[in-house]
Amino acid sequence: MKQTAFALLLTTTCAGAAAAADRAAVVETYADIAQATYEDSFTTAVALQKAVEALIAEPSDKTLQSARAAWTEARAYYQQSEVFRFGNPVVDDWEGKVNAWPLDEGLIDYVDVSYGESEENPLAAANIIANPKLEVAGQEIDASAITPDLIAGTLHEADGVDANVASGYHSIEFLLWGQDLNGTGPGPGARPYTDYLQGEGCTGGNCDRRAAYLRAATDLLVSDPSYMSGAWAPGGEARGVVAASPEAGLLAMLTGLGSLSYGELAGERMKLGLLLNDPEEEQDCFSDNTYNSHYYDGIGMQNVVTGHYTRVDGTEIAGPSLLDLLKEADGTLAGQLEGQVNGTVAALGAIKAAAEAGMSYDQMLAPGNKEGEALIGGGIEALVAQTATIERAVGALGLAAVAFEGSDSLDNPGAVFQ
Amino acid sequence: MCRPLLAAIFLATPALADYREVVEGHILPGYAAFAAATDDLAEKAGESCDAEALKPAYQAAFDAWMAVSHLHLGPADEKGRALAIAFWPDPKGLGAKAQRGLLTGDPAALAPEAFADQSVAARGLMGLERLPYPDEPPAADPCALIRATAGDLARMAGEIEAEWRDGYADLMLSPGAAGNASYLTEQEVRQALFTQLATALEFLADTRLGRPLGTFDRPRPERAEARASGRSLANVRAELAALRDLTARLAPEAADTLAAFDRAIGLADKLDDPVFAAVADPQGRLKVEILQGAVKTARDTAVAELGKDLGVSIGFNAADGD
Repeated sequence: MKQTAFALLLTTTCAGAAAAADRAAVVETYADIAQATYEDSFTTAVALQKAVEALIAEPSDKTLQSARAAWTEARAYYQQSEVFRFGNPVVDDWEGKVNAWPLDEGLIDYVDVSYGESEENPLAAANIIANPKLEVAGQEIDASAITPDLIAGTLHEADGVDANVASGYHSIEFLLWGQDLNGTGPGPGARPYTDYLQGEGCTGGNCDRRAAYLRAATDLLVSDPSYMSGAWAPGGEARGVVAASPEAGLLAMLTGLGSLSYGELAGERMKLGLLLNDPEEEQDCFSDNTYNSHYYDGIGMQNVVTGHYTRVDGTEIAGPSLLDLLKEADGTLAGQLEGQVNGTVAALGAIKAAAEAGMSYDQMLAPGNKEGEALIGGGIEALVAQTATIERAVGALGLAAVAFEGSDSLDNPGAVFQ
Repeated sequence: MCRPLLAAIFLATPALADYREVVEGHILPGYAAFAAATDDLAEKAGESCDAEALKPAYQAAFDAWMAVSHLHLGPADEKGRALAIAFWPDPKGLGAKAQRGLLTGDPAALAPEAFADQSVAARGLMGLERLPYPDEPPAADPCALIRATAGDLARMAGEIEAEWRDGYADLMLSPGAAGNASYLTEQEVRQALFTQLATALEFLADTRLGRPLGTFDRPRPERAEARASGRSLANVRAELAALRDLTARLAPEAADTLAAFDRAIGLADKLDDPVFAAVADPQGRLKVEILQGAVKTARDTAVAELGKDLGVSIGFNAADGD
């Protein structure tokens, strides 16, 4: 017979009440950074909205370029917020409308003939911009007016298909760049500004509806982060959840770090693309901005570990950190985590540097591109390495018992230490 | 100031065979059988590309895979092997697309080394399924592709088996030994295995059963796994049996979990719907939903009971993403 026994032992920790206070302070820093990150997502989305209005009012190469630049800037702040996603159901339940990926972009606008059909998604090429009426699962939908309500309430995830992404960063990215038809060759999507010319000179057809779509999707991108920064403000729902129990808050931090590192970024977004050798398997596949998106995910994780965030206006937020807490509990582990998180930023930074020097992320995915494979592989390796340490930190901070409490719920399969 | 901390301590484990039992009685024989079955499949493919001649060996190889498909750690997780062996689900139809390219493209891509570099979506059991079980006539003679795919499967199965036998098993069996950075404690080994169990049960309920179920208004029988080869239910049944075996070795005293498995397996045995075609019919759907409920119960029971018995929580896993 198996000889196992548990004993509940009373041990003591001489940091005592001070330790409890420290934990609460660490969680407070975390919530402050979350609030600031979503505020910055909002601010930069407002700037994008302004640039989009300028593009619609006066379509030109210049206004299109500045709208693209504003999207890229907004993206850098949103990506830093991704570390808050897993571990906080308030965020995870919400993020799909802001950052869903991958998408069947033919739902939204025209696509190249090479796009083909989807076995699973009858709306994969529905082209709402060209079609004021469409049928979703046997029901006729009136899409004559393209509004935020139509996008968020009817089109997003229509017919229960995840790839029907009608809102969020990637829908706007598609409307600003268009399909990247260069395969694993250089260059992003090349949508011309004339796609937004009203009347004569309009390319791609239905320029009025395209402008309406872009405007409505951008409106949503402003209102969504605004809601989330409120949720992290004092008195907000998301802050309330983590503040209620410092242990649960710490667990949310570690869950967010581990799940983003491993299953999401290293797995779904990086390893899968490499194994499929598919240039569409890059997250920002229209703009070729994937290297930045991965990099700022890494920065977001560093922010949470070090309790430090540099805002879009240059001001700094800093406070007691996870790392401080871990140093007290297990100095060796803390040293490892610090080194590994910095290592991840360096590895993702190497991808960014190579992309900025001319080898875009989709080129790195090309079969036989050993240099690209090594760069992406280096990022994956760094992320996997830090995951093991994050997992060990749960034990080192005595959170395993907390992790275990909620374990009978399937409600939130994205969270790890359920 | 000192404050008491409640700590659960694992006291004595002299007769504890748990994870050794899993490695030696479940994992190693499972991979050995998978390697043998894929060798046989490659051999049969070498003899003949006749679909009827291949089908028994194909089915046997898939059966063998289902005994180990839940293990996403170590050698199977390296070089994308597990994904390449069974790339599913594939909502964008990447496999069919990439496979068409291989069928009609440069035959040089079918040479073993080149084939190993092809997209994981086109390879493995799911890629091979389309060849002896085509839903439309192939665009070209599939014989060379059948041989390449079967040979590639056998290669991967052989590598996984060898790497477990010659290294990874020792790593799992020597937690805390000098130089073992993967497993620092016995608890980390248990946690790793426990995570495989919980994640596989979620995948069973949410994906293997959840995809064809769709919603009541929009059932999706066409999304069932391995429909062409008629294996959708057989895979669920086989994986439940494999996970029960893992549980029985890891935590033989987990009576509630084992009973929950027996109930789910009994329901699968009684279900007369090999590819979940009946999910579109309210009566047929109910039976699959009941099975799904039983799998979820097995998962919840395992997490609660084993988590407590083993003193571990679920670790990070590949299913954390979208």
